[in-house]
Amino acid sequence: MDEEKGETERAGRKLAIAASMLLFSSHRLPGVRGWELRRRLGRNYLKIIDALNSKLNSIGLRVKIMFDQPLGGSPAEEDFDRARFFVTLSEPLSVADIVAAGWNIEDVAVLAAALSYLFTKGGRASEKELVELIEVKLPRWKVEAAIERFIRKGYLTRAEDNTIKVGWRALAEVDEKELLKAIMDISPTQQKDGSEGRT
Amino acid sequence: MSYGKKVVSREELERIMALCESIERRGLDPFSVNVKELLARLRRILEEQKDLDTIVLDAETLYRIAVLISLQQKWLKERASSLFIDSQLVSLKIASADPRQLAAALARSWRPIVRAEQITPYRLRQGMEYFLMLPPRDRALEKLPLTREGLQITHQIGYAKGVELEEEIKKMHEACIRMAGSKGEVDYWSLVSAETFEGVVWRAYVLSFLVTEGLADIRKNPITGELKVVPYPSKKKREKITALVVSIKGGEVPKGLG
Repeated sequence: MDEEKGETERAGRKLAIAASMLLFSSHRLPGVRGWELRRRLGRNYLKIIDALNSKLNSIGLRVKIMFDQPLGGSPAEEDFDRARFFVTLSEPLSVADIVAAGWNIEDVAVLAAALSYLFTKGGRASEKELVELIEVKLPRWKVEAAIERFIRKGYLTRAEDNTIKVGWRALAEVDEKELLKAIMDISPTQQKDGSEGRT
Repeated sequence: MSYGKKVVSREELERIMALCESIERRGLDPFSVNVKELLARLRRILEEQKDLDTIVLDAETLYRIAVLISLQQKWLKERASSLFIDSQLVSLKIASADPRQLAAALARSWRPIVRAEQITPYRLRQGMEYFLMLPPRDRALEKLPLTREGLQITHQIGYAKGVELEEEIKKMHEACIRMAGSKGEVDYWSLVSAETFEGVVWRAYVLSFLVTEGLADIRKNPITGELKVVPYPSKKKREKITALVVSIKGGEVPKGLG
């Protein structure tokens, strides 16, 4: 009986460690690598992450695993070791939520346009092309400033040949297919009620 | 084979390579190039000229074309994964949508990372421990005379000008050996003590050179914190070098500086 209680306590402690590792980080990049989790939680860290994921799901969060490279088949243990683990929201936000969180709606629109265009261009396009595309909607200075801001935040990356690429953060947070589908669903007569984002 | 023709072939190969490179670098549509035609040109050049330079350049061009073909494969895969949505189509949609609609489209696909950037209790404890370990700062030091007055003091006690440091080190070394006597060590504070604060600073300063030179060593008792200077008759090569910070004020306001 005591043994069982001790086992439960140990598991609970490991869950708490996993949660703190994933949520509290002092690195520039959020989340932790699989090998870091294995070092702290032991060989069965994936089971602990799975258990944590179930707990987080109940409060609208989930553990996301981002592999270094797209995998063909099912990931091997080494793939998990190299992968980055972090916590994201499990459900998308509404526009109203995004605005309430302090984001400027026009900045978010720039990001949406830039990402959707980049996704269809194989993840990379020239900065000039991108700015010219978006400046039909917003003033050029605003577009350029927003792009700079998103580069700093990691949603976009500037390559040395003045091309803009999809950044690590966009890959981690944005569902490419879902975004393209949403862009295709836009119709000029669409209701502008700010609650379209809720699914 | 004429030299002129060779130059033309070379230029043609270089042009093909530049074209392939620019498509790769700029992420342009790899299907915008007719690979079959490029390969036919390559074959013609190789048949016309079989000198080593052209063969090497030809091989390099062939590699570039192979990369282009792999890009075509990648492009197809990406197009398939993006539901065959063309960039032109996306551009049209972007042009016809208003910013709020675009934002709503992103909101549908966006699940932001959740993380806390505030300090953790562990880091807070670490910071507290570090803070407690810091030696107290003497506020009187902040009242030290600045620039001209400060320079006057340093000049008076001769920190820099007109002082033969080597001579001072020699004197300190002799004093150190004399005071250490048969015990072989002398208390740090009795060695650096002087009538004035400036004098103490000066002696400690000279002693630091003595230690750096390898003519003496300072040993600290980790329990009592006692500092002992062990003089050596001749320079000794030190195997392990560590920095030791000694606060010579000890919290007292020296005369003339307060």
